[in-house]
Amino acid sequence: MSAWWFVFRKELRETLRDRRTLLVMLAVPVLLYPVLMVASEQLLLFGMRQLDEEAAPVAVLGDAPSDLLWILDSIPTLRVVPPPAVGGSAPRSTMEESIREALTEGSVAAVVVLEGPTDGFGSREVRVYYSDASDRSRRGRSELMGAVDLWGGRLLEERLRVQGLPRSFVVPVAVADTSLALPEEVGGYALGRMLPMLLIVITLLGTFYPAIDLAAGEKERGTLEALLTTPVPPGAVVTGKFVTVALVGVVAAALNLLSMLLTFRTGLFRLAAEAGMVAAIAPATVALIFLTLIPLAVLFGALFLGISVRTASFKEAQNSLTPVYMLVMIPALLPVFPGIDLTPLLAVTPVAGVALFFRDLMSGVADPLMGAVVLVSSGVYAVLALRFAARNFGREDVLFPASRAPRSRRRPRGLGPVAALVNASGSGIPGERAAAGFIAVVAVLFFYGGRPLQIGFGETGILLSEWLLLALPALLFVRVGRFDAYSTLRLGRPSPRALAGALALVLGCMPIAWGIAWLQSFLFPVPWELLEGLEELVTADSATRLAWLLALLALTPAVCEELVFRGVLLGGTTSLSPRRAILLNGLVFGAFHLSFETAIRFLPTAWLGVVIAYAVWRSGSLWAGVLIHFVNNGTVVILASTPALRDLFADPQAPPPWWTMPAAVAFLLVGYRILEDLPAPVDIRTAFDGGAEAPPPLDP
Amino acid sequence: MIHVSGLTKQFGDLAAVRDLSFQVDRGEVYALLGANGAGKTTALRCIATLLRPTGGRVEVEGWSTSSTPIEVRRRIAFLATSTGLYERLTPRELVTYFGRLQGMDDASLEARVDAVVDLFALGEFQHRLCGQLSHGQRQRVSLARVLVHDPPVLILDEPTLGLDLVSGGAIHRFIQRERDRGKAVLFSSHRMEAVELLADRVGVMDEGRLVAEGTVADLVSGVGASSLAQAFLRLVGAEEGVAP
Ligand SMILES: Nc1ncnc2c1ncn2[C@@H]1O[C@H](COP(=O)(O)OP(=O)(O)O)[C@@H](O)[C@H]1O
Ligand SMILES: [Mg+2]
Repeated sequence: MSAWWFVFRKELRETLRDRRTLLVMLAVPVLLYPVLMVASEQLLLFGMRQLDEEAAPVAVLGDAPSDLLWILDSIPTLRVVPPPAVGGSAPRSTMEESIREALTEGSVAAVVVLEGPTDGFGSREVRVYYSDASDRSRRGRSELMGAVDLWGGRLLEERLRVQGLPRSFVVPVAVADTSLALPEEVGGYALGRMLPMLLIVITLLGTFYPAIDLAAGEKERGTLEALLTTPVPPGAVVTGKFVTVALVGVVAAALNLLSMLLTFRTGLFRLAAEAGMVAAIAPATVALIFLTLIPLAVLFGALFLGISVRTASFKEAQNSLTPVYMLVMIPALLPVFPGIDLTPLLAVTPVAGVALFFRDLMSGVADPLMGAVVLVSSGVYAVLALRFAARNFGREDVLFPASRAPRSRRRPRGLGPVAALVNASGSGIPGERAAAGFIAVVAVLFFYGGRPLQIGFGETGILLSEWLLLALPALLFVRVGRFDAYSTLRLGRPSPRALAGALALVLGCMPIAWGIAWLQSFLFPVPWELLEGLEELVTADSATRLAWLLALLALTPAVCEELVFRGVLLGGTTSLSPRRAILLNGLVFGAFHLSFETAIRFLPTAWLGVVIAYAVWRSGSLWAGVLIHFVNNGTVVILASTPALRDLFADPQAPPPWWTMPAAVAFLLVGYRILEDLPAPVDIRTAFDGGAEAPPPLDP
Repeated sequence: MIHVSGLTKQFGDLAAVRDLSFQVDRGEVYALLGANGAGKTTALRCIATLLRPTGGRVEVEGWSTSSTPIEVRRRIAFLATSTGLYERLTPRELVTYFGRLQGMDDASLEARVDAVVDLFALGEFQHRLCGQLSHGQRQRVSLARVLVHDPPVLILDEPTLGLDLVSGGAIHRFIQRERDRGKAVLFSSHRMEAVELLADRVGVMDEGRLVAEGTVADLVSGVGASSLAQAFLRLVGAEEGVAP
């Protein structure tokens, strides 16, 4: 037997002795569904009975004809009570106010007000007052409406009789609609709405605790070293652990599925039967669902293990996994919403594809091709997650991190409480957390403040939002946290060579961004109305106007956004590897420009962000970023605002001219070469700390 | 036997172990003596293949830790400072598990598990869950766990840390017996008594470096001290009035 098998057997044995896992795996599915179903049904029946028992108190205002009163009296679920006191000639608003009071205090459930005469062939005006906020009143209303309808029917009969007309005179078309769906199909549709989410969540839950226990738990209890000094390759250890976790996830989900189907079978679900549905799923479908659950469980298991092993304790692992858990819930919820089709894009979206495929399977409309896409893509994600987990298990900095010195709770010397809030470590350069917090605050500010400003004040609003909501907070952040502005924001002057490199980069960057925008237009629809609006904004008819537009749309963002993204964010993420920090910077920059209508801007903007972040990091100067940002935006402004030039690029949906691509690559290479030839970038963190912690030199 | 030459381990800017060289022969007990943070654990982890050295070579029974780590692991028992157990396994299951991971076959495993259960007196609680054991019992189980394959080389990181005298004494006796069976024993400690009592030779570590090596007597007389403790303080330059 190979080693992973022994690891797996031991982990399984230990997992099965864990009460929490057993609870999720066995008790929840076996007990939850029957209990839930019976309880919800009873609750529903109970509520209905209670409402039915009491006759709804209704009142009549105005001179009611005797036949209406007779109808009201003859309906047992109604009880006519004296109307609320209303002055005979009071204006309508006063009357409504007193009815409202009566409704609120509950002395009546609904009130009918009759106005005008009944003679001739006119319509008698009848108003029914009720409260939409009370079940009792809504029921009173529907009873009352029924009574009024009955009365109206009688009046109609009478009129027809007088005129000698048949009843069909007022029913020129008699419609009947019939659903030809089989009860199973109706049931499948209803199940397909709810069940996928439950299955995914249970799989998720099933893997959650074992993943923590098998990775972070091994570290917290200090059993890892003994395990890793056995002659078992790390790969076998990961495999054994991961198979356990995935198996628990699959079994939990399978038991869940089974329990749910059995609960339906027993006929406990009477309401469903009354609604004309049969909650049952064909065995072949169950098998397919089960098959699809496997890559899903593999994905969750491996992902959770990989994350969990990076943490040092149960608690930390739980804290790290919970956001991931929440994130996965969102795509799992998709089937609950009507009208979301399983498109190719959704099929390859992790979790979302599986959820929608489950739904289609259950309602019997699954497309085998999409199913294959879902299965294959889930498999690919699962393999990626596995590699992630295996990589983490092989890394000594993950397995044996420096034992963390207990972090001092005291605030750093010389910083006030507000500063300490922003600058927890008291260092001269913000840390990741501070930078992330800052970006979050700015994003919220910009989201809620920026749009109203731009809508309310037009172009001035743009100017205000950039300076007040981006530049100012960035400067305040550095100032309040007592960070070293010069190092954090890299305000140092760039060398002419660095600027030349940056210029070459932006010339190469722009056509590529255009290419990206063009390529993705195949995937996402482009909101043309929005783009046309933008074009209007930037048309310049005079030189002064052009200068203003350049200041507004090129210079302002170049300064304000650079301060935020390549200033605080890039400065605060220096503890990451440069490659990661740069990539993250681009992604955040892209996400920041994301709004509901302009998802299309994400990729091109992120690409621009990556290029700028690289240039700023490599040159050590924010001004290189300002230059790139300004040239990029300025070019767009000039192209779009000059009618003569605009015609050159008349069709915004056209691909960039082919010759721009080799030129772009050449520019990028030249810019990269120039920047790489600069002296190595200074790590602003050590530069600032003055090398105080540098190790003593090694003896020769 | 263990052969360490020029071992260096760097954590970012910090050199936790610098140019460390020593050798532990069969039938010898070698102690690495050093203050907290001197780099003992890091050195032992490198020898036990848990960490990849930044520089230098380590060989165990002639096998290199960097090119043949699996072969090295077959030949060592590594007792870490954190001797956690799997709470939901019994000592017997735990020891059996480690025997399987060592690649032992069923027949020899059964016999060997019985042997270590006897050796460390686990019989009385071998079927209880590890989560319910006392500290001393756990220490014995964790020793049994790493020794199930009866390897020729023992690497013990602070083996008596946190133990009372009786349990500590049991470990001492065990170490002496293993030495007499011809094993190479390497252990680390920051406590003088353990070292004086057990070690045939001592390496004194300070800031990642080996600053002195020899028998306890050699070390004491070498710096003209009256006790190992005093010698140690002089060697690491921590004694009052002694310039580093
Ligand atoms: N994984 C690690 N990452 C960074 N530094 C570490 C790591 N492990 C140990 N260190 C540092 O290396 C030095 C030596 O530690 P260690 O080997 O544990 O010493 P000892 O066992 O002698 O007390 C200490 O300064 C410690 O902080
Ligand atoms: Mg130590």
